Amino acid sequence: MPLIEFKNVSFKYGDAESYAIKDINLKIDEGEFILLTGSTGCGKTTLIRCINGLIPHFHQGALEGEIIVNGYSTTECTVAFLSTIVGIVFQNPENQLVSLNVLRELAFGPENMGIPREEINKRIMEVAEKLELKHLLDKTPIELSGGEQQRVAIASALTLKPRILLLDEPTANLDPKSAKMIIELLDTLNKSLNLTIIVIEHRLELLMDYVNRVILMENGRIIADGKPSEVLYSHEAERSGVNIPRLIRFFKKLKELNPKLISNPVTIREGVEALKKVSE
Amino acid sequence: MIEVIDLSYTYPDGTTALRDVSLKISDGELVAIMGPNGAGKTTLVKHFNGLLKPSKGKVLVDGVSTDKMTVAELSRKVGFVFQNADHQLFAETVEKEIEFTLKNLGFQENLEELKVKALEEFDLLKYREKSPFSLSGGERKRVALASVLCANPKTIILDEPTAGQDIIQKNNLLELIRRFNSEGKTIVIVSHDIEFIVDLNPRIIVLVSGRVLCDGSVQHVLTNKSILEYSSLTPAQITEFAWRLCEEWTPLPRNIVTVDQLLAALKEHIIGGGL
Amino acid sequence: MSFNIFEAFKYRRKKTFIHSLDPRTKLALALGVSALSIIFTELIVLLIIFLSLVPLLLIAKSIKEWTSTVKGLTLLIVFILFVNIIFNGLSFAISMVLRIFSLITAFSLFFLTVHPDELSQALIQMKIPFSFAFAMSMAIRYVPTIANEAQTIREAQMSRGLELEKGGFTQRIKNFIPIIIPLIVSSIRRAISIAESLESRGFGAYPNRTYLLPLKMRKRDYTVLITLLAAIIISVIIKFVVGLPPLLLLSIPF
Repeated sequence: MPLIEFKNVSFKYGDAESYAIKDINLKIDEGEFILLTGSTGCGKTTLIRCINGLIPHFHQGALEGEIIVNGYSTTECTVAFLSTIVGIVFQNPENQLVSLNVLRELAFGPENMGIPREEINKRIMEVAEKLELKHLLDKTPIELSGGEQQRVAIASALTLKPRILLLDEPTANLDPKSAKMIIELLDTLNKSLNLTIIVIEHRLELLMDYVNRVILMENGRIIADGKPSEVLYSHEAERSGVNIPRLIRFFKKLKELNPKLISNPVTIREGVEALKKVSE
Repeated sequence: MIEVIDLSYTYPDGTTALRDVSLKISDGELVAIMGPNGAGKTTLVKHFNGLLKPSKGKVLVDGVSTDKMTVAELSRKVGFVFQNADHQLFAETVEKEIEFTLKNLGFQENLEELKVKALEEFDLLKYREKSPFSLSGGERKRVALASVLCANPKTIILDEPTAGQDIIQKNNLLELIRRFNSEGKTIVIVSHDIEFIVDLNPRIIVLVSGRVLCDGSVQHVLTNKSILEYSSLTPAQITEFAWRLCEEWTPLPRNIVTVDQLLAALKEHIIGGGL
Repeated sequence: MSFNIFEAFKYRRKKTFIHSLDPRTKLALALGVSALSIIFTELIVLLIIFLSLVPLLLIAKSIKEWTSTVKGLTLLIVFILFVNIIFNGLSFAISMVLRIFSLITAFSLFFLTVHPDELSQALIQMKIPFSFAFAMSMAIRYVPTIANEAQTIREAQMSRGLELEKGGFTQRIKNFIPIIIPLIVSSIRRAISIAESLESRGFGAYPNRTYLLPLKMRKRDYTVLITLLAAIIISVIIKFVVGLPPLLLLSIPF
């Protein structure tokens, strides 16, 4: 059974005339690391809001079809219940760090759930250890750098021990090095905790080394879904104006010059191998 | 022309954001200010239109020191577009948004003409009667741009213009910057979007901890490992790829940043039939 | 703009005996001292009350913050002094100033040494609903964020030629519209995204919420509270039953 399943899902926000997402059918298995992309307004954020129940419980509107998460139909559970299965991290960490210090921020979710104190302390220590936040526990959000703030936002979702983590443009406000560190952290979490991760990102090249799947959306629909090499070399990707990484643009041009080149590399490693192989 | 002479700036709370910065930006130049968060990039450009006045040293705009002029006076010469359009928009209609700037800056007889020109330039004519708040994110960004650039300033400052933008919006912006630059305007862009900067190909000034770390071309700055390391930047994907090819396969120049440069460098392999 | 006056009311992270007290103890202390300085009008007694607070400031290592507030309030204090000299004589005027000093000191000691999170925890344990106490600590959390945003908006509009100091009174008020509207719009957007984040972490979902760091009164708290209570009782008895000894009734003779 897939961990997440969308069955013919469409959604229209309360005051909107058109559908934000339309006829979505999607299955996601445990342990997947997925990049969700597409131009602004294509419905990416709406899609992930459906997974943790913010749609239809927080953002109201007309929801059709059914979303099953870990065996539960999202319309029949509360967002609070789903928060122990699905964690979510948004673009701007300023709006997620609501406490005056990091320790309380990490405690916030489990406290709301009424989890016993000893267990909360244990979880905080585990998460702080893993995300290297121990030295920051008594800092206020304003004292942290953008990268640290985003790490705290991730940590404060993880203390609820979710099996799925959703991230909506988590690196948009970060400098390149901090952005890279956040993505590497996601990779570690995916591998060590078998955490299922769906990340929305415009800068695809950041994620090519890590994701096993790319979902491409346009006008509320999924127009391509598959391995990075399949999706990013597809006509749909070219047409929908997705930010195709330079490495892939390079290989597309090279392939026009040399039909012998048949592989579709997406990472630098694969690119080097492809050139070595074809030149032999 | 903007001249920065031994500029230091300390915020009222005592943090020093700039230390002895000296640089010169000539008319018609295209310049990117890069560096880690908190390096003083925004603090520096806020001196160009007088939002901040030097604690020490001088900033000259067309030969006149900025402490002798108000922000409003300087804004006729130096247009400053902030990162977030929502921090600028407030009027009932797009048209009024543009009028606000023009009136403030003292344009009277040619107000109508400048307004229509700005609406056309940013493809906003069809929205002139609409509320800016009813527009999409990308459209609001265009209104914000129009509401500053309508005054036809000689120098344009863009603070993180690509943050959170998709590739279509980025390409529009790229085209816009190139057009303004080719019309002779000076462009100063604060950014850490490496791939965008590679496409734009400006002169790059790197700031680290309030000092100028280096000043040079894209090919010089973004292919220098120690500069990248110090300034929390990462190499462009093609640069990294070329470096790896170099290590593991075949000698290549160290300063490749674009797809075309890489193709050119591999030309012999391609013609030779290896590739 | 000068925020000096607020310096004495902003929490500083320090490790001192005063900081380690329970916020409820410190609240009682502030209220108790205020009550005493209102009950008494005699110059010498008010001087004693004020002087007894100084060691507390020293223990809390907060003299510097306190001084900056007093400096910020100089004008007000001088004003009170003069008005009272004119209408009530020097002795009463000085008493008034001492009373104000005691009140400022008592409350700045409270805010300087009580973390806002502790304050909200104290409120919760005093049976104030969680959502109310949480809203208060979140308001404190977002003050600097919104202040920064207001500053950015101001600069963005100045870059479009807005001059706040220009024009007559009504014009000057109108000048703020281009700042206020974006600030409201972005605050609403921010509020929605904060709400999404709270909702996604189970805020308010279950009645039996855990509090990770409950407040506990310790021996030192009881010691302080008992001392305070004794001081109040003795003072009240002296004032209303026994009568003040002549030494404490001394005043400046004009």
